[in-house]
Amino acid sequence: MTDTWKWIADSKLCFVTTGATAPFTELIESVLGLSTIDTLIQNGYTHLLVQYGTAKDVFERSAAAGRSHVEQTGSALGFIIDGIDFNPEGLRTQFMLVQRSNGLVVSHAGSGSILEALRYQIPLIVVPNTSLLDNHQEELAVAMERSGYLLRGDVKNLTPTIQKSEGFRVKMSQFPPITSGKHRETKSFAAIMDETLGFID
Amino acid sequence: MAPPPSSLYTLSFLLAALVTLFVAASLRLLAIIPSRRTKPHPFRARPPATRVLIVLGSGGHTHEMFYLLRDLDTRKYTHRTYVVSSGDAFSAQRAVEFEAGIEEREKARARAQEAEKEKTPVVVLNGGKTRENLKGKERQACTGPDHYNISFLPRAREIHQSLLTTPLTALHTLLKSFPPLLRAPPFLANQPPQSAYQRAAADLPDLIITNGPATAVIVVLASLVLRFFNIRRANSRGKCRTIYVESFARVKGLSLSGKLLSRVVDRFLVQWEELEGTGGGRAEFWGVLV
Repeated sequence: MTDTWKWIADSKLCFVTTGATAPFTELIESVLGLSTIDTLIQNGYTHLLVQYGTAKDVFERSAAAGRSHVEQTGSALGFIIDGIDFNPEGLRTQFMLVQRSNGLVVSHAGSGSILEALRYQIPLIVVPNTSLLDNHQEELAVAMERSGYLLRGDVKNLTPTIQKSEGFRVKMSQFPPITSGKHRETKSFAAIMDETLGFID
Repeated sequence: MAPPPSSLYTLSFLLAALVTLFVAASLRLLAIIPSRRTKPHPFRARPPATRVLIVLGSGGHTHEMFYLLRDLDTRKYTHRTYVVSSGDAFSAQRAVEFEAGIEEREKARARAQEAEKEKTPVVVLNGGKTRENLKGKERQACTGPDHYNISFLPRAREIHQSLLTTPLTALHTLLKSFPPLLRAPPFLANQPPQSAYQRAAADLPDLIITNGPATAVIVVLASLVLRFFNIRRANSRGKCRTIYVESFARVKGLSLSGKLLSRVVDRFLVQWEELEGTGGGRAEFWGVLV
């Protein structure tokens, strides 16, 4: 996105979105953790972009530690850590870049973010925020994982899920599902509207 | 000689009147409320124009609503009324963007068609007024600012409002939801409807679509009142049909709005198989819709 990014043909982006209004700070810390960064580098990632919302301080602190760790270990292609706060125009550019670079999206389990990311047919790791009371994030994440749309990650340890995401890329289910009978009849919402009013054409 | 009317003011007469009213109201409700399993509507010729009323909610509900509506055919649903809670600038903005998007899509399609036409020469007969031409005109895409409107409703309950005053504000919202249900305001004030499209816009909605914000419960309730009293022949013309779509985020249980509305809407849709048959057996599952 910026000149400091040194974006080349072999670049591979991991994009993390944590919710704009009430950011999931544990996810920011987890994704910038040293073991997560090592796993990303092992899997050929060159860029890590975090949408931190209002939690800039948390991001800056974790990013500084992450950058110094990358400098010490050194990686052939380099590993750039960057952050954005909130984009009122949506995250289209970021998702497109992930799609082009065969990258990965790590997201909080808000249904809006899930629905948006899945339209790009990119591997998505969803991390439910277990500290929220009365939320359906975990249920939704479990159900979506079972249908093969995404992977569910644990905020305490993202490494195994990131390892799994490379294999998942080729076998993930298409979303939204094609509305023609797989194991049962399905309908599109437009068809249900017509049917309710009795329109045939 | 007939007894004076004041002799009717007895307790037993009052009770009898109340019971009669209650029985009549129950029978009427049973008649208008859909039966346990929705019967498919008998197929009918599509009216030239229809109005659809879409209730938007806060962020999540609005997001899902526009995913649901992504294949909206403006040839069929010629006027859209978006109902937004006052102060919810985000939802109003999304509605404007959505409409701008479908307008753009239609323009691109028309341009592509025009380019296609230029390639193949057409012979114009009968002054161009062939049957196909008239038919084509009838089925044109209805996009742009005169084919949609946004209505604002006061909130049923503010975020920190006490439960004690909620019934009052909810009643206020109920009263305020009648005007957008009865008609979309004309594009030019004080002008009677000129076309079929404008007549449909100035009429009751054919379809009401909602996915669960608190406002939706009130709007659906208001539409039931219209059907109950057959106001502007709402019930006998089959107007104000309702579709409720439970949020995609609801995997194992219905939301409060869903529980409240499951028995009274015409179609009650859920997006996870586990929920099929909930809501008193009325929940239908046709796959993920968003």
